[in-house]
Amino acid sequence: MFTIPLFILFGAMAVGCALAMVAQRNPLYSAISLIGVFVSLACLYMTLQAPFIAAVQVIVYAGAIMVLVVFVIMLLNVEEEVRRPVRLHFLIPLGILLAAILIGEAAFILKLPGTPSRIDAYGQRPSDVGLTASIGTGLFTEYLLPFEVTSVLILMALVGAITLARRTATPRLAAPGNITTEPPELGPRGEVVIRPGDTAATGRAFARHQIEHGEAAGPAKNAGEEGAR
Amino acid sequence: MDWLTNLVGPDWARAVAQLVGINVGFVVVLMIVAYTVLAERRILGFIQGRLGPNRVGPGGMFQPFADLLKFIFKEEITPSASTRFVYFLAPIIAITAALMPIIVYPFGPEVSLPFIGKFHLVIARFDIALLYVLGITSVGVYGVALAGWSSNSKYSLMGGLRAAAQMISYELSLGLSLVGVVLISGTLDLYTIVEQQGGWFGLRWNLWDISRVPQVIGFLTYLISAIAETNRVPFDLPEAETELVAGFHTEYSALKFALFFMAEYVNMFTVSVLATTLFLGGWQGPFVSVFPWLGIIYFLLKVVFFLFLYIWLRGTLPRFRFDQLMNFGWKFLLPVAILNVILTATILFLRLR
Repeated sequence: MFTIPLFILFGAMAVGCALAMVAQRNPLYSAISLIGVFVSLACLYMTLQAPFIAAVQVIVYAGAIMVLVVFVIMLLNVEEEVRRPVRLHFLIPLGILLAAILIGEAAFILKLPGTPSRIDAYGQRPSDVGLTASIGTGLFTEYLLPFEVTSVLILMALVGAITLARRTATPRLAAPGNITTEPPELGPRGEVVIRPGDTAATGRAFARHQIEHGEAAGPAKNAGEEGAR
Repeated sequence: MDWLTNLVGPDWARAVAQLVGINVGFVVVLMIVAYTVLAERRILGFIQGRLGPNRVGPGGMFQPFADLLKFIFKEEITPSASTRFVYFLAPIIAITAALMPIIVYPFGPEVSLPFIGKFHLVIARFDIALLYVLGITSVGVYGVALAGWSSNSKYSLMGGLRAAAQMISYELSLGLSLVGVVLISGTLDLYTIVEQQGGWFGLRWNLWDISRVPQVIGFLTYLISAIAETNRVPFDLPEAETELVAGFHTEYSALKFALFFMAEYVNMFTVSVLATTLFLGGWQGPFVSVFPWLGIIYFLLKVVFFLFLYIWLRGTLPRFRFDQLMNFGWKFLLPVAILNVILTATILFLRLR
């Protein structure tokens, strides 16, 4: 009785959030809209009697993946996108045409003779397809091979990510030949030029150099300021 | 219940009953939260050799209401550089995500009332209650993270980043430490999990049930990662006042700050309820089968024990360093939780053969 109004409500929410996600120019607003899409999709799964999929949708997509996306946006402090003039004008009518074809296809499939009974079969009677027990049994008996292949795929992605992260991080930090205790060169305006291979020891050597040559007027001035506060 | 069903039909009767249940649960949980705050201040006072608030009402009984009034009448300050919409959205997300799980807490057995008939003391029972709680609490991270970002302050941003990193790290060990209980129960429905722990004078509680598999390791890993998940001492890095002023809620004032504050305590209540339900037998206790209403008292006693444990830890332990927190979560807690899953599954498998 409540299923159809709720389905329409959450369906409209999903579509609205998806449109907002594309239309927003602030990346964080887009991310929030995408979270909205995922949550309303989970509600749709609930109305379709697939509670397990709904919970997993929220836990995995809204709770884990999108947290990482928001995390990166916060860390990088991504600026708002500037609106640019459209360069390829023919893409707009083409896009509208493709969207029309897609909607037409979907409507055609729904209206095809013979199909409605198949769709109604899942819509009308309560099914146990989405329940936790049936998904677990199916996953570890009938669909065991795809399940295992997926886990191998994820492992490959993991190994790949770690390899990529290591390659850029290791070479210049701790290799023995790279550590220098020579003071760094100064740039044209007296600023420190940091090169690959510089370590904390370089900084210490630079500080020693400054103190010995009387260039560091900093500590005395700072001490005065501390006292004033 | 029958008269209501006859009046408006079964669908509407259930909807009305659940709506009433949700509102009652909402008020009760908020009252418990208010008095948890008071208890925390009094107990911390006792631990630290001082009195704590004791002037408003007998023994400070009305202090929570005085605090609430003060929160309401304080000036709302919005930082001029904040991102307005997200700044308002963040506390709403935090409190909503904290309050949503209350509908699945099983707080008592089947009872009967005049005019209403027999019913279970749980607002909603469904197949995935445990996953529902985990999913909703995982969405609660956004409240903290977005609050940190939208305030446009360095302290808030650092607090928000720390909170997000900490919560997604400890969510893994939190979820994995519960897998053992799910394995021995064979269901995710919290009410059924509690029902299975009845009898034998408390010896069938999942924590030490020898007839199935005792979940001692799971219980300990759950307890530790739950403290981290709710950002409490010793894992309260997101609001470390010595480093970050007040962390993610530095720029929040008045009622918006109160919402974050309430969300933290409701989350505390939620993890205490989960610990009670999954490991300590929920509402099970002596004479529950004779007097069903006793179940609520047992349930509350166990939950209050966990809340007290939280406050006790806060009065006792110093704060972790951030790298220690991450190392502990990923290199110790997660492997131990996985070990618990493997052990439980192996023992169950050997028993089955």
